Amino acid sequence: MGTTNSAMAAMKAGEPSILENDEGNRTTPSVVALNKSGERLVGQLAKRQAVVNPAGTIYAVKRLIGRKFSEAEVQEDKKSLSYEIKESDHGGVDIQMGEKWYKPEEISAMVLQKLKADAEARLGEKIDGAVITVPAYFDDSQRQATKQAGEIAGFSVKRILNEPTAAALAYGLNKKTDEKIVVYDFGGGTFDVSILEVGDNTVEVRATGGDPHLGGEDFDNKILNYLLEEYKKQEGVDLSKDKLAIQRLKEAAERAKHELSSAQETEVNLPYITSDENGPKHFTLKLTRAKLESLVEEFIDRSVKLVEKAVTDSAPQGAGLQLSDIDEIVLVGGQTRMPAIQEAVKKLFGKDPHKGINPDEVVSVGAAIQGEIIAAKEEGRKPEGEVKDILLLDVTPLTLSLETLGGVATPMIEKNTTIPTSKTQVFSTAADNQTSVEIHIGQGERSMMSDNKTLGKFILDGIPPSPRGVPQVEVTFDIDANGILNVSAKDKASGKSQSVRIEATTSLNKEEVEKLKKEAAEHASEDQKKKELIEARNQAESLAYTAEKSLKDAGDKVPADVRTNIEEKIKNVREVRDKDDTAAIQTAMNELSQEIQKIGQSMYNEKKEESAPEEKKEGEDASSETTPEDDSKSEHNDN
Amino acid sequence: MQQELEACRRERDECLEGWKRSKADLENYKREEEKRVSALVKFSGESLIRDLLPVLDSFDAAGRSGEEVPEGLRAIRGQITGILNRHGVEEIKVSPGDPFDPSEQEAVGETESEVPEGDVAQIMATGYRFHEKILRAAQVKISKGQTNE
Repeated sequence: MGTTNSAMAAMKAGEPSILENDEGNRTTPSVVALNKSGERLVGQLAKRQAVVNPAGTIYAVKRLIGRKFSEAEVQEDKKSLSYEIKESDHGGVDIQMGEKWYKPEEISAMVLQKLKADAEARLGEKIDGAVITVPAYFDDSQRQATKQAGEIAGFSVKRILNEPTAAALAYGLNKKTDEKIVVYDFGGGTFDVSILEVGDNTVEVRATGGDPHLGGEDFDNKILNYLLEEYKKQEGVDLSKDKLAIQRLKEAAERAKHELSSAQETEVNLPYITSDENGPKHFTLKLTRAKLESLVEEFIDRSVKLVEKAVTDSAPQGAGLQLSDIDEIVLVGGQTRMPAIQEAVKKLFGKDPHKGINPDEVVSVGAAIQGEIIAAKEEGRKPEGEVKDILLLDVTPLTLSLETLGGVATPMIEKNTTIPTSKTQVFSTAADNQTSVEIHIGQGERSMMSDNKTLGKFILDGIPPSPRGVPQVEVTFDIDANGILNVSAKDKASGKSQSVRIEATTSLNKEEVEKLKKEAAEHASEDQKKKELIEARNQAESLAYTAEKSLKDAGDKVPADVRTNIEEKIKNVREVRDKDDTAAIQTAMNELSQEIQKIGQSMYNEKKEESAPEEKKEGEDASSETTPEDDSKSEHNDN
Repeated sequence: MQQELEACRRERDECLEGWKRSKADLENYKREEEKRVSALVKFSGESLIRDLLPVLDSFDAAGRSGEEVPEGLRAIRGQITGILNRHGVEEIKVSPGDPFDPSEQEAVGETESEVPEGDVAQIMATGYRFHEKILRAAQVKISKGQTNE
């Protein structure tokens, strides 16, 4: 339950997954409103009318829930809230919405009610239990009030979970022993840092810190102001009063911020931003990542200082630790996508932070995991995801492949495939009357078989003589649970088959595997070029073969000059084929393809002359390139 | 021997159970995956389409600029919206005088207007729907009625 937005997650098929609300969004604004007609709006709908109904739109309730009206934070917030609050009978906060006064937990319950209804609709079943997250610094009163909000909404609240703990759970850090974890949570409106200690299946909060009024919105405003100033400098026009321009600029600022997380530079381009007596005006500005970082440097620095304070200050304000005592760092909140923030955190602790899970969703994910743990315990079973651990399945560490025409390693079972598994593919012959095929099995990530390790070879013979590409040889790679590979090849026509058994394909040294993968990555582009060349050569040969066949079949229906042309092109293709120039081979093939079409045309023209005038058909390509099978052992047709 | 047999039977039952569960998991996963994939395909253009909306806004801004907008520019806007329509994107229809509807409109301000108080007075930015999802709510100004002279 966030200050600005809330999110929900549930376990689906053993994996925590965020549930969309009924508008199809993964987050729901924590906003409730009563409009002038007395209708209650919740979530996005409430947010959309906030501007014209400031007194009746209730937001940021998280800042008030469980607090006493007299608290300094409440008095401070009161100055900027657009709705009325007063002291309740018990010293708490009462919020005015319409004619009535509500407790903060009643307002939060309205948001939770909507989430519950949307979740039930998505999942197609009733929900009764919920885990609700709260900041680690929430006291008893705030936690109780949050729990009540859940109960009012109709949930049986199984746990009030600390947000940083949820984040740690999402990354599985609760399974570690004796570790100290920092959770750095830079959200839209607040910055929170928590120091956790994990051990013995418990997670303890040692210290918290942060700034409740520092967030991503501050970044957006800084950028917006920069854009406004720059425009004033460029054009001498002040856009700050132009609501529409501000709206477009705001959106552009946010987009630019996102883009600069992956690009070094972006352009803010807003045509027709405004107009003056001289006509319409446009706004273009290049924004570099460096510039953005300098604009928000003060915010990032402030957050780093707050982290340091929380770690090093002596208890109870801080955790009383050294920065080097911290074992893991977890990033939470959309703003942490910014490289400058990730760098700052890394620099502070000398370690890479955990950031694989969507930072906007990581707390919900953790809550779902906690929910599953609790549900499993209640039902007397093991939590989903853990059952799988009992039956550990192996993976095959490196790709297993078959050698095809030109020495190409054609993958049959990709690396990291869970075993036991089986894969079958049909291949064919490379030459006419080829009666045997060699099955050459390799292991490794390179494109050419010669660069991979040979696991085994065998020959399947007795294939009935046929034109190239016609026989169907079914090759099966089968790995059992013990990592034993059985490769078999069967000719579908004769029924003849042959096989080989290869042991220990999964018992590879981890370092060796990494080394081989690295090598493959280094050689990736040259391997790719080699592969393309081979494929081009294969296609060229195939095309030449088909062209010859078509000429033969057409016989004397083909005029002499066309025949000579084609024969010339065929010769050309075969000559170029043996060279190393992939592009030249493609060109020669295209030229031959063009010429071949004339065979078909000639044949149709002849027909036309023979019979009465008929509809002229589009010249068909009489020589279709491919053989019936998708994959030939020898021809690597890329369709 | 009897004990061994019992132990064996138990182990067999466990294995069978585990196998059935795995198979069931796979089948269920496939079913869910199908649903996921079709949802993915349906909404796969969403991020590209969202990124295109500012372009349409620029065209709208051109229209408001007071300068004579070349016919060609209008036609280009039409070209883009035509393509978007074919991909399931629709403009949200709002006109001044319509009642304010937060399910597809966002109020960005208030203004004096002849239109009854609380209704839509002015459309500031076009809204778009993608299949059933609101991609961007129409941005409107709400009427605060007319103040008497």
